[in-house]
Amino acid sequence: MPTPAIEFADVTKVYQRRFGAARVPALSDVSFEVARGEVCAFLGPNGAGKTTSISILMGFIYADRGQTRVLGYAPGDIRAKERIGFLPENFAFYRYLNAEKLLHFHLRLSGRQRANAGSLIAELLAKVKLDSYKRLKIGKYSRGMVQRLGIAQALLGDPELLVLDEPTSGLDPAGRKEVRDLISALRAEGKTVFLSSHILSEVEQICDRVIIIDRGRLVRAGALQQMLAEGDRVEIIVDRLPADLETAVKQHGASVEREPNRVRIHVDAAQKRVLADMLTAGGCNVISLMPMKSSLEEIFLKLVGGGAE
Amino acid sequence: MKVRTIAFATFGGFLRNKVIILFCSLFLCVVLLMMFPLLGFKAVTNASNIENMQGMVLNEITIVMSMVSGFGSLLAAWAAADSLAGEIKSGTILAVMARPLRRWEFLAGKYLGVLMLMVIYAFALVGVASLLAWLGGQRFQTSLWTLVAYPFVRYAIWAAIAMLLATVLHPIFVIAVVAVLATLIPMVPFVTALSRFPNWLRLAVHLILPLTDVLSEQRFLTITRAALKPFPWTSHLTALAYGLDYALVCFLLAVMVFQYRNLSRD
Repeated sequence: MPTPAIEFADVTKVYQRRFGAARVPALSDVSFEVARGEVCAFLGPNGAGKTTSISILMGFIYADRGQTRVLGYAPGDIRAKERIGFLPENFAFYRYLNAEKLLHFHLRLSGRQRANAGSLIAELLAKVKLDSYKRLKIGKYSRGMVQRLGIAQALLGDPELLVLDEPTSGLDPAGRKEVRDLISALRAEGKTVFLSSHILSEVEQICDRVIIIDRGRLVRAGALQQMLAEGDRVEIIVDRLPADLETAVKQHGASVEREPNRVRIHVDAAQKRVLADMLTAGGCNVISLMPMKSSLEEIFLKLVGGGAE
Repeated sequence: MKVRTIAFATFGGFLRNKVIILFCSLFLCVVLLMMFPLLGFKAVTNASNIENMQGMVLNEITIVMSMVSGFGSLLAAWAAADSLAGEIKSGTILAVMARPLRRWEFLAGKYLGVLMLMVIYAFALVGVASLLAWLGGQRFQTSLWTLVAYPFVRYAIWAAIAMLLATVLHPIFVIAVVAVLATLIPMVPFVTALSRFPNWLRLAVHLILPLTDVLSEQRFLTITRAALKPFPWTSHLTALAYGLDYALVCFLLAVMVFQYRNLSRD
């Protein structure tokens, strides 16, 4: 069985203020795994510890306790870094370089100087739609262009694992869709993508798994589809609903929505059996009884208490 | 290869750095300003005041060279501190360190980038010194390499000290500490000579602070007389080796501290 792409086991990190005794806990015993080939979203409100976790993962900072492995290696190990593409949040570049020179610089740092470096870079710039701006200094780029360039540099060297911190930040709707398509294409190629995002509707479209943290603690981790299906409400569809029965149904906390040929009844899962029996006894034909899917946003807000997201 | 890539990128950054450009402009202004009275002295020199005028000319050259050389030490310290702290502050370090690059390789690249800048500065220093000496009707009687090597090693020391300090301090504090050190160093011989200070303090001061006077060209070249003191090559070798060793120790300490440093913007 292959080792997971990312392993966090009881990771704890406390920031110590430089000239004071104040200790700010950033992560407390956080444990999760990301399997190879998965697209996994890392969610949490601002200040939840997402960037700290990603920094530990990349070897930029050290955890105080716990164990972290990336592609089977310790964070910061160059054998792991050779196979990782990383896009930091608010990506910063050498402003005096142009896109082409910056990618050449990163290619040299990755130790993969190739004969066809020029064509590889041109291909990447075309992929992120920056080929017409490749000679423009990065200092003159818009926020969205910088983000696209960041994605291009993350893709440099055909990485096995992509760690993307807010990949769609600063992009327009078309740019966001391109990033989503790109991530879907990467998944099809069998790459592992670990991304943090605040745009939950996008996460819902592209991710296989979701990890949610809040105030440095893991609050939920699991397969996205399973999470969405675990709603605590059900929908009962009946062919008709007499008025007296509607009153009785509403007394059980249900909501009723009438349509031309059917009636939809939404109720807490705990009440489904009582209501189904009541409706059948009342002569209604129960067409279906299905768990209602929650949106990721609803789940997220429920878990983090409608935090800062 | 990776170290070289970082070094060239660092050097490239210096060439576009506004503070460095300001430094170089100041350097040029000082030289041009000092040439003005120098040429004036020369113009009014005649047979009756030649000795007096020549003394004034050479004195001025010494002042200019001390200033420019001192500027160089500050430039080396600032460039080293800013090149490291600037990367961390701007966040450019994150994308760079995400590449298969070890922390010591990054730091070595940064340090080499600073040394590339300072070797150019050392050559410029010698160029200016030669120009001023020529204007003053003098010429250096020592080989060019010594005039480049001594200031360069001094700059290497200051750059390494600054890099070590920059791993934990803001560049402004680094410059402040460097300035304090530069002020303290001339006092070292007095402190070590005074018996009222405890032995451990005298020894510590002697061992910890860099003896940049050992690395001064003044030891073998007195510019005001343009005369070369007899100085064996073994002395050059020992003095330069001392300087390089000191710089290396500081650099290795910087690597050690940087290894455990938080690289995120905080």
